Amino acid sequence: MSYRSAALLCFCLSPALGCDSESRARHAGTPDDPWVIGMSQCNLGEPWRVQMDADVRAAADRHSNLRVIFKDAQNESLLQRAQVEEFVEQGVDLIIISPKEAAPLTRPVAEAYQRGIPVIVLDRAVQGDQYTTFIGADNVQIGREAGRWIKEKLGGNGKMVELKGLMTSVPGQDRNQGFLQGVELDNNPGLEIVFSGEMKWLEPDARREMESALATNPDIDVVYAHNDPGAHGAWLAARAAGREDEMIFVGIDALPHEGQQYVRQNMLDATFLYPTGGAEAIDIALAILRGEEAPKHIVLGTRLFTRENMDRGGDPIQ
Amino acid sequence: MSVDWQVRLKQWWALPVTRALLALLLMIVIGGLFNADGAFFRWSIHRDMLRQVSVFGILACGMTVVIITAGIDLSVSSVLALAAVCFAWFTLPLDWPAIIAIPVVVAVGAALGSVSGALVARMGIQPFIVTLAMMVFARGLAKVVSGGQKITNYVAEADGSMRLVDHPPIFDLIDSRILGGNLSIVTIVFLLCVLVTWIVLARLRLGRYIYAVGGNQEAARLSGVPVRRTLITSYALSGFFAAIAGICQAAQETHGDPETGMAYELDAIAMVVIGGTTLAGGKGSVVLTLIGVLTIGYLQKILSLNAAPEATRLVLTGAIIICAVLFQRGRK
Repeated sequence: MSYRSAALLCFCLSPALGCDSESRARHAGTPDDPWVIGMSQCNLGEPWRVQMDADVRAAADRHSNLRVIFKDAQNESLLQRAQVEEFVEQGVDLIIISPKEAAPLTRPVAEAYQRGIPVIVLDRAVQGDQYTTFIGADNVQIGREAGRWIKEKLGGNGKMVELKGLMTSVPGQDRNQGFLQGVELDNNPGLEIVFSGEMKWLEPDARREMESALATNPDIDVVYAHNDPGAHGAWLAARAAGREDEMIFVGIDALPHEGQQYVRQNMLDATFLYPTGGAEAIDIALAILRGEEAPKHIVLGTRLFTRENMDRGGDPIQ
Repeated sequence: MSVDWQVRLKQWWALPVTRALLALLLMIVIGGLFNADGAFFRWSIHRDMLRQVSVFGILACGMTVVIITAGIDLSVSSVLALAAVCFAWFTLPLDWPAIIAIPVVVAVGAALGSVSGALVARMGIQPFIVTLAMMVFARGLAKVVSGGQKITNYVAEADGSMRLVDHPPIFDLIDSRILGGNLSIVTIVFLLCVLVTWIVLARLRLGRYIYAVGGNQEAARLSGVPVRRTLITSYALSGFFAAIAGICQAAQETHGDPETGMAYELDAIAMVVIGGTTLAGGKGSVVLTLIGVLTIGYLQKILSLNAAPEATRLVLTGAIIICAVLFQRGRK
């Protein structure tokens, strides 16, 4: 064994050996000396990610023994990598990261983890198992629930419009795939997708696609959009054509200031929560910092929001 | 007699407007062929296309002016977003009347345009660089103003609770239709912008200055054209139109979205160039731009009507832009 590989082996083993003997947290976790959590968000350009930070902040504010440092990686993997390294150098007690992409962030996350800093990975995964806990939602499941709900709402008969997100993105593919599993076109010959357009998550594009759907289809029973802005754009198109009451509108994401408001204002009939995991991340972080065992992989369930259940905060779907 | 007729045909063929119109006509014929079960023959399709393309068209008006000065304005999409956010902020949480909100928003757009123009004219920085910086700056400002979230009719109260307010009538007014529901108001706004641009370029002394500066800046300066003032006014006009487009965008989306209009500047440039206004400057007109706007509008509508997949759309749009530009150049 060469010197170099021996050194490498030592490096790899050191966290495993040293983990239990030294206290991981550098702060006491009291109001005077609160635990410090570093939160690296991949970008704050998407409202959903702004909401994730807000959820983390709201949850952390309930605990006087926690302090969170927020960083925005502006959609750059290398900047996000630098942020993780900064957190390690700063000596934070725990890192929460919502990574931009898996491959470039796997190593910095693994290095932080090996140096004894617990890492919670939110929404998008990293490769391997060198992190403490992953928390995320399942877009296929959410799409499937939306499909099932629509199938039941239509009683197995009806014409559907699907407005898709960016189909080169995994969430777009998953929400489409899940929807098709949910509506089960093979077992429900009465259901038909009469128009399918790609609106790339954008409201103005959704409106344009919906105008085409309306122009080419005299009968539409339901519009399923891969996000709430898309469903809202479709509703605006239908309203302009005077046909918004002929069909129901279903979206995904259910952000409090966005989709939930559209449901409240009778534009959308249903929206399915794509949970940010922000609150759950703080709960898990506290458990880890107190020295409790945390699960490796947490998949968050969705919630259905309709006009009827809006006031009680939607209903969970198991 | 017949020779005279041939000469006339040749002259007519050499006009950029002829070629632009032919490209548009070709696009309409394609629409007739791929008519999506006759949908293309209904007026509502054309009305919706005109609505969809209006915001881009308004941006293209300002872009035409700047391109004729041999410049470029990459910041229009960000100024649009800033204007959309400001408009929503003024009218929804702040509850300003539209009569005050609209002039303030338009003034903000024109002011940002003037800053770009001043940097181009006085500091001699390339328009591409100046407006690239302005693009980033204005987008950032839009996010600062909005706090990174959409500004909707769901308004925060002083005590932190949220309250739903009704959209002021200006939102519905802009996003409504006249003439028995056959023409969108935003399309009227777009056509008014075309008219204003046409008056500036073809009827005012400023227009002659704009063509002169774009044709040869040094020659224009030597013959007494106020080059700096002309450039600043041109970029201010572009900002002005971008702000109007932003108001239309906000009204149609029913909120102010700091992320809206991403990459719209590229569509606006494509519309100007397809019409036949060259990036070299000194030549072109807003009538050509109007035709370019319609050509791209029909292209997008036909692809959308036939539910073409996104990949096909991108490939076809790119190919058609190149074909249209080559077709325009053929006259030389």
